[in-house]
Amino acid sequence: MDHSITVTFKLNGKPTALAVEPLTTLRSALREHVHLHATKAGCGQGGCGSCTVLVNGEPTLSCLLPLALVAGQSVTTLEGIGTPSHLHPLQQTFHDHFAAQCGYCTSGMIMAAKALLDQNPQPSRDEIASALCGNLCRCTGYTPILDAVEDAAEQMRQL
Amino acid sequence: MTTTDFFIPRSIDEAVGLLGQHGADLVVLGGGTIVMGMVNDGLLFPAKAMSLAHAGIDGVRDVDGMIEIGATTTIARLAQLNRLPILAQAASMFGAPAVRNMATVGGNLFAMPPAGDIAVPLLALDAQVELAGPRGRRRLPLDQFFIGLGQTARAADELVVAVRVPLTGGQTTYLRYGRRQANTPAVVAVGVRVVAAADGTVADARIALGAAGPHPLRARQAEAALIGQPLDTPSIAAAAHAAQAECDPLTDALASEWYRRRMVGVYVRRALESLT
Repeated sequence: MDHSITVTFKLNGKPTALAVEPLTTLRSALREHVHLHATKAGCGQGGCGSCTVLVNGEPTLSCLLPLALVAGQSVTTLEGIGTPSHLHPLQQTFHDHFAAQCGYCTSGMIMAAKALLDQNPQPSRDEIASALCGNLCRCTGYTPILDAVEDAAEQMRQL
Repeated sequence: MTTTDFFIPRSIDEAVGLLGQHGADLVVLGGGTIVMGMVNDGLLFPAKAMSLAHAGIDGVRDVDGMIEIGATTTIARLAQLNRLPILAQAASMFGAPAVRNMATVGGNLFAMPPAGDIAVPLLALDAQVELAGPRGRRRLPLDQFFIGLGQTARAADELVVAVRVPLTGGQTTYLRYGRRQANTPAVVAVGVRVVAAADGTVADARIALGAAGPHPLRARQAEAALIGQPLDTPSIAAAAHAAQAECDPLTDALASEWYRRRMVGVYVRRALESLT
């Protein structure tokens, strides 16, 4: 028997309606229904941050959020903040500073960093580290990531 | 097994009705960070689920000289509660920003140890839990809410709808020790509140512990060791010793029972010393 529900929300600025099983997570919906694969499936427990997206501008763990609860809300994923020809400053500085190695944490890192810079355009290095404390990176040692966010903040202030 | 229904009630009356109708089949989500983690891990297969996210029980207000915090108020919101510094302190040390945006004060009362930090400052503040059920509402002290490992005083047909925090006096502080600086369950969490008498001795004290038993708990013998004494090195040592003796920590991948017990002593001492 089909128990699917239809959820209408705004995805990267576009009105979107998806029919999913009742407890389907936002992460699964993004990856499996609309094939936006930037948002990664990591621990599924809120421990790694690789599934971080913005819901109404706030960093949110898409693996722990049933899609049904984003009805009427605004969801932003990495695909929504820049394009290959017009990268978001964070996407550009992550590239410039070699802040992505395997890349698995990168989408979540950038979304968490974007939420920070949207609220605090001039964060200290400690504030950047605090904002990213829920996002694990097993490759870089974090230093290039902090450098990238600092650089992006500076560039965005000059825009 | 498939989840056939996911209810998102618009009021507590509707939520209580749904719980009565579907009973034990219905898994209740506050912010979803506990339940969805279990679903993702294959530990829970809810036939039916209900989120309280839109039941109108988020937010903070003044009621009867107390601060009432709705059950689905997020931890991020608690971190801004300047009137309850110990609670704001604990909330700002909880998880990471995205977790704090989702996890709720009511839901955290159902976290299994070593999680469940938010109850620690709430116990130190003599908070009450408000439950709603088919027989109406009732309130009970938070330290009577926790019964055992994964067990609370909530009846099967009731929902936690709020916590109430009296505006009590005294100095407070919260310390949390984890294996990493952030986003890790506690090795131990300690919340203390000390009320001084006119002569400078301790008139009343609360010492609350997290990750130090089957549920967040008050170290009553440690509290008793302070009352009537000046808050000084001997009384603090006695309280730390008592807390270490009376707690009942678990062993997990983060820390052993042996280590947690010793850290309870260390962190109760440090918390009390910070108030001298």
